[in-house]
Amino acid sequence: MRESPRQIIVLAISFALLAALPWIAGAVGRPDFVTLGSQACVMAIAAASLDLLMGRTGLPSFGHAAWLGLGAYTVGILAFHARDLGPWALQAWAVWPLAVLVPAALAAVIGALCLRTSGISFIMITLAFAQMFFFLFVALKTYGGDDGLTLRRRSTIPGIAPRDDVAFFYVCLVALVLVLLLLRRVAASRFGTVLDGIRQNERRMMAMGLAPFPYKLAAFVLSAAIAGLAGALHVNLFRFASPDVLHWTMSGELMVMVVLGGLGSLWGAVFGAAAMVVLHAVLAQWTEHWQIVLGPILVAVVLLARRGVWGALGGK
Amino acid sequence: MSALLEVRGLAKRFGGLVATDGLNLDVQAGEIHALIGPNGAGKTTAIAQIAGELRPDAGTIRLAGQDVTALPVPARVKAGMTRSFQITQVLMQSTALANVAMVEQVRQGHSFRLWRPAARDERLLAPARAMLQRVGLAARADVAAEDLSHGERRQLELAMALATHPRLLLLDEPMAGLGATESAAMTALLAALKQEVAILLVEHDMDAVFALADRITVLEGGRVIASGAPDAIRADPAVREAYLGAA
Ligand SMILES: Nc1ncnc2c1ncn2[C@@H]1O[C@H](COP(=O)(O)OP(=O)(O)OP(=O)(O)O)[C@@H](O)[C@H]1O
Ligand SMILES: [Mg+2]
Repeated sequence: MRESPRQIIVLAISFALLAALPWIAGAVGRPDFVTLGSQACVMAIAAASLDLLMGRTGLPSFGHAAWLGLGAYTVGILAFHARDLGPWALQAWAVWPLAVLVPAALAAVIGALCLRTSGISFIMITLAFAQMFFFLFVALKTYGGDDGLTLRRRSTIPGIAPRDDVAFFYVCLVALVLVLLLLRRVAASRFGTVLDGIRQNERRMMAMGLAPFPYKLAAFVLSAAIAGLAGALHVNLFRFASPDVLHWTMSGELMVMVVLGGLGSLWGAVFGAAAMVVLHAVLAQWTEHWQIVLGPILVAVVLLARRGVWGALGGK
Repeated sequence: MSALLEVRGLAKRFGGLVATDGLNLDVQAGEIHALIGPNGAGKTTAIAQIAGELRPDAGTIRLAGQDVTALPVPARVKAGMTRSFQITQVLMQSTALANVAMVEQVRQGHSFRLWRPAARDERLLAPARAMLQRVGLAARADVAAEDLSHGERRQLELAMALATHPRLLLLDEPMAGLGATESAAMTALLAALKQEVAILLVEHDMDAVFALADRITVLEGGRVIASGAPDAIRADPAVREAYLGAA
């Protein structure tokens, strides 16, 4: 999918602003903006990974938070046992890849089961599996249960001070850019065109001689792996993992981000995520019932711009 | 010599309704075999079972001697037969060229490549363009399927079926909704295809059927009421009563 000139301008400005965010935050005296920026990047990674499934492949998973949470808990639990495991359990180069692999491996099994269904059943079964993980972590008292698990210090990245929020913001931003480049590349590949075909007309793809299942499963696993990376960043950002990250409301929020931004456009998921994070922060200052305000905004977007914010930018 | 397609004792019921009732059918290599009958006779249901989308309750389907009754749709396409659809099934948001290139890609395999861009891959585009040329759609290659006319979409549907390089094409009403000129063009196209691919043709357009078919089988209520050469079918009183007379 080609971007329109207007979209390219908006993209360039957005990423320039994002890159300059720490200076802007400093200039207006709001260091908390940096954390907000990191959060937007992390959620954008998670939303972009969901868009690969929902927008590209036409598989509306309602359990995407599970992978985010599993990524977060992988980092948290390894750090928790670092004394027994050794110092590698605190190193980003060791634990972040595991935070990608653990969700990916589980997604291979769970995806193989979920993908036997389609439509509403697929939505419900992905939700059920995610809730299973939610209750699992609530029950795991060793790792804090309900209260969550604190990460004493961020994963070690050589050359970056663990308490440096600005440096961590750039880590998140670079991760986001890399993920977007990867997903764009995948979308344009032969594999990506097959996913697009499956979304448009699975029956036709089969009449071409394509067995869709392996492709859907690969998309499911890739999407979970990237969400796992978002989870690793998430737990590092707040130095905290809690079952809330895997709650179905988080899965729902991710879906809203993708739809708000525009299904299947990748950049849309990024803008949707950023918009949600910012709206959340702004509205939460006014009222604790921020969701009551968010609801009508969503309805308006869906009614006014059926292809989401990003689609509306593209014109046509 | 055994036939390219051999259907034996095919049966399918939907609840109380018998949609296919002990269907026997052969398609020889190099022939166009027409399957006709009134609305609801079970033609599409038969095609769906032969193509593998619908599991028969009983019966066997052999393609070139190989029993394909238990094979899923994609495996049957690889074995050499594919279908077209009565209601057009194409990738609506993709261009005509991208639609055919997708078929070419699936045929070539290698769809697990995640890195190289596919949209400018000449190994896919060149054969796809050639196929569009053949069905007369070359000038419309870069138009999205949703913006094509109904007739053009029927041409695209045929191009996509052909691009799988089948030995046997199962065509479900390729003329459906076409105007007189378009129908004539489609008829000419199918006649030219006969050299290389056998066709099981479901069609209501009797001019096309009698112009193309080497053999005709007439279905009514899921059963074969007549089968034979076009002239014999035309003269058959039972067929005239059930179908042709009404037309
Ligand atoms: N999935 C289904 N469930 C129940 N009944 C079905 C189903 N599909 C087809 N039928 C019924 O089976 C019978 C045969 O339908 P089919 O579509 O095969 O007819 P057809 O010969 O293709 O008709 P037409 O010429 O109108 O396309 C019809 O009575 C139809 O209503
Ligand atoms: Mg029919």
